[in-house]
This record gives sequence, C-alpha cells and structure tokens, in this order.
Amino acid sequence: MSVDIAIAGFGTVGQGFAEVLALRQDMIREAFGTEARIVAAFDSGSAVYDEEGLDPLALITAKTETGKVGDEPLVDGAAFLESIDYDVLVEVSPTDIVTGGAGLHHIKGALAAGRHVITVNKGPLALAFAELDSLAKENGVQMRYEGSVGGAMPIVNLCRESLMGQEIGSVMGILNGTCNFILSRMDDGLPFEQALKEAQELGYAEADPGYDIDGVDTACKVVILANSVFGIECSYEDVDVTGITAISEEAVAMAAEQNYCIRLIGEISPERLEVSPRLVTKGHPLSVTGTLNVAQVNTDLAGPISISGRGAGRSETASAILSDLLAMMRSFVNTK
Amino acid sequence: MRVNADLYVKDVPGQLVAALEPVSVMEGNIVGVVHHRDQVMNDRIGVNITFELLDSERLDKLLGIWKDRDVRVSRIASVVETYPLDYLLIGEISPSRLEEILDEVKDMLGMEALDIRYSSVMESGSRTALINAKLTNRENLRKAEDMIASMVQEKGIVAVRGLGK
Repeated sequence: MSVDIAIAGFGTVGQGFAEVLALRQDMIREAFGTEARIVAAFDSGSAVYDEEGLDPLALITAKTETGKVGDEPLVDGAAFLESIDYDVLVEVSPTDIVTGGAGLHHIKGALAAGRHVITVNKGPLALAFAELDSLAKENGVQMRYEGSVGGAMPIVNLCRESLMGQEIGSVMGILNGTCNFILSRMDDGLPFEQALKEAQELGYAEADPGYDIDGVDTACKVVILANSVFGIECSYEDVDVTGITAISEEAVAMAAEQNYCIRLIGEISPERLEVSPRLVTKGHPLSVTGTLNVAQVNTDLAGPISISGRGAGRSETASAILSDLLAMMRSFVNTK
Repeated sequence: MRVNADLYVKDVPGQLVAALEPVSVMEGNIVGVVHHRDQVMNDRIGVNITFELLDSERLDKLLGIWKDRDVRVSRIASVVETYPLDYLLIGEISPSRLEEILDEVKDMLGMEALDIRYSSVMESGSRTALINAKLTNRENLRKAEDMIASMVQEKGIVAVRGLGK
C-alpha cells in the first residue's frame, strides 16, 4: 500500500517538495516499507492525475518547459480534488489573507472527504484555523502545517511534540525574514527606504512589500501558533499589529547607543497576541541578523528554549512538508 | 529577592543544618554556601550564604528563627528584584508631557530608576525618546505599560517596547 499525494499549487514550494520527495524515496521505502507517491498535481490552469503515480522530476520539467504542470485544463481545483483518489493533500497554493483563497476550499474539501492535509498556506490557517481543526477531528484525519511558521525552523512540532508535558508561558520570535533583513541593514546605517529597496533587489521582498513590512505575515504566524500551541481560538483580526515602516534611522542609532537593536517580534501568550517592533538587547537569542527566523519558547520546566532557522526558500520549506509527511506516515504505521 | 548573609555558627555537628534548614522552611532557594573554617570568632565559624526569598516578610521571619537557634548574623545584604520598563518612542513627543506621565507612573507604581534620552527634533517635527526604568513589581509593570500605551495612542506615537524579563 502506498501513500498517495495530491499537490495543490505547483510553484516554487510545490516543485521543491516534488524534488525532495524524489530525493528521499529510498529512505521512505526503507523506513516505512512503502512508497509515498505523487498521484496528482495542479497549478492555476492545469492538472495531471495518474492513479499509478507520477514521476516528480518529470512534473518539474513539464512546469519549467511549458509553464504548466499537466495537460488537463483546470477550472476548479476543489472540484478536481473531489474527482480523484488520494490519501494526503499537500496544499501549497498562493496565500490569500483576505478570503483564504482557493487554498481554503481545497483544504475544507479534502478534510471533509476524509483526506489528510499538509499545508504551508497561511491564509486559510490564519482565517479559519478552529474550523479546519474541528473538521479534521470530525473526519478522523490529520492536518499538519509545520512549514507555515518559520519555514525550516520546526517551531510547531517543537512546541506540540518535543515539549509535550511542559507548560508553555509564551512564544516570542522573529517570524519574517524580510523584516529582519531590513532592520539588520538599518543596523548597518541604511535608511529604511534603501534597506527595503535592497531587500526587493535581492528577491527577499515583493514589489508590494506591505504583507511583510506591515506585519501581516508575522500576524498570520502568530495566529497559527496561538491556535496550535496555546489552544487560543483566534483569527487575524485578534492580533494587535504594528509594522516597521515608522522605524527611523535615528531610532535605530539611538537604540544601538544603548546596546539594543530593533526587531519585529511576534509574541504569543494567553495574555497577548501581538506583532510589533521591539527593543532587543544585542547578544539576546532574538537579536539575529539577516533573513533568519528565530523563536524563544518559555517553558515552566525547561526554562527558555531558542530555535533558529531559515524562514523561507524552496528546499527549506519543502523540508518542513517532508517532515510533516513522515510524521503522518509514522502515525499510520503506529495505528495499524 | 536575593539575599547574601555572613553567619557565625557553633563549630559542632548539626549547626550548619540548623542555619540552612529555615531557608527551605521559608520556601527559599539556596544559591550558594561557603564555609569559612578560617574565620573563627568566639568558638564559632563563618558561613557565607546566598539565597532567594519571595519577600521581605519571609526574611524577617527567617532572621527570627536564626536568632532562636543561636545563629549569629554579622552582615546581611538584599537585592530587590526589579522589572525593566524600556521604551523607544518615535513621533511628535512633548518632553514635558512624557515626563509628567512618567512622574505619574513613579508616584502611583513605584520606580527604582528612570533614565530618559531625547534626540533632536527632525524637520518633520518627529523625535525619538529612549526610556529605561525599573519597577519593583511585575503587576505594576503591566499597569505602567497600559499608561504609556494610552499616551502613545492618543498622540499617534510609535512605541518600541523592550522584551522585558
């Protein structure tokens, strides 16, 4: 029996996942005695399905050469998913924080149909976490989302699994690499506008950078951690958000004189859901530079635990999806 | 609070335990004990002890128990735990109004230390102020943050708060 996967969205992350799945196929076979096969994939305009399994690298080649992952035209991703047979949906379509976008429909449809879901799509989780979580439980399936917060930094599973049995008082972290890059460059003396321009030239920031610099992206991650780690039923509107656009060169310099740097911090605790620029003492675990993500988990037994990693990137995000898939496969074996 | 004390105990078995055990009774945490066998006074030997206690009320009770047990205290020093209130404010800040509010915080909530630095005013009328203060009570810290938050909201000032403890 194989574990059959459908991939919704075949952009950078979808292709990255197909690549690492091909790379780790032997390891999976050895560890679980079974295969994890891609049986379906679709992008915004095309789809492909083969119940016998698809070649992950051939899918990437098709996408690169033709701009499409499959030959079949696609009108409605949710309808396509209803028409095929698979075990796990890997939902990596573009994020829409206003409506949840197509991703929300894909995830709801899959969970309602009794399929497991792995997603890094923050929009559906930030807007409808409690509903999706209930839907998964009602249908006896798993929804995992490690890559939605911190990319390769395994913060969700650290809190939910490795720190099981501990009381977590708060989680504070740098959860957006773009803002951290800009603030790090401001530490070097660059004004905000110039640091932003540099981030755009290097591909760290979008042409419309509001999603990052206004704190929206970090707020989505705060919502996901609040729901998943603290069991706080909340959505994006419940987070108190301040971005970094008001941070001046002068403020950064004044902070530096007193051995501080300014970082955009997401804070999650039963008392506080907040995204705001904060004064961080240089040398503190949260004073990292560049595009790194970092989080500090404050626990009652082990005290503070810090974790850091690359917050984005093709293979980094794919590694988080792979880890969710393997955790699912391990649970399938254990429940047999 | 963290306390460091120089004690003199009789150089007979059981006396060191008699000095240390009441710290645990007062729900304290012993951080370190140094036995000074070379410091002898009236057949007593010196012991330096560092411990943490919740409050000064417990410290008073502990001193009473030591007195009853004939443990002599030659020196005692305590440090009260403080909670940092650090802010960088950016916007049209009026130093007189800001200091008025911080004086209110000081009077209402108690403050161990206060330092305020200002930048010069920019062409836009904006300036930066860095506040470093220490409060002696965690609950008061939240109240102080609320007082500052209402001021910055009213004036459209951006507040960059410290991480706290």
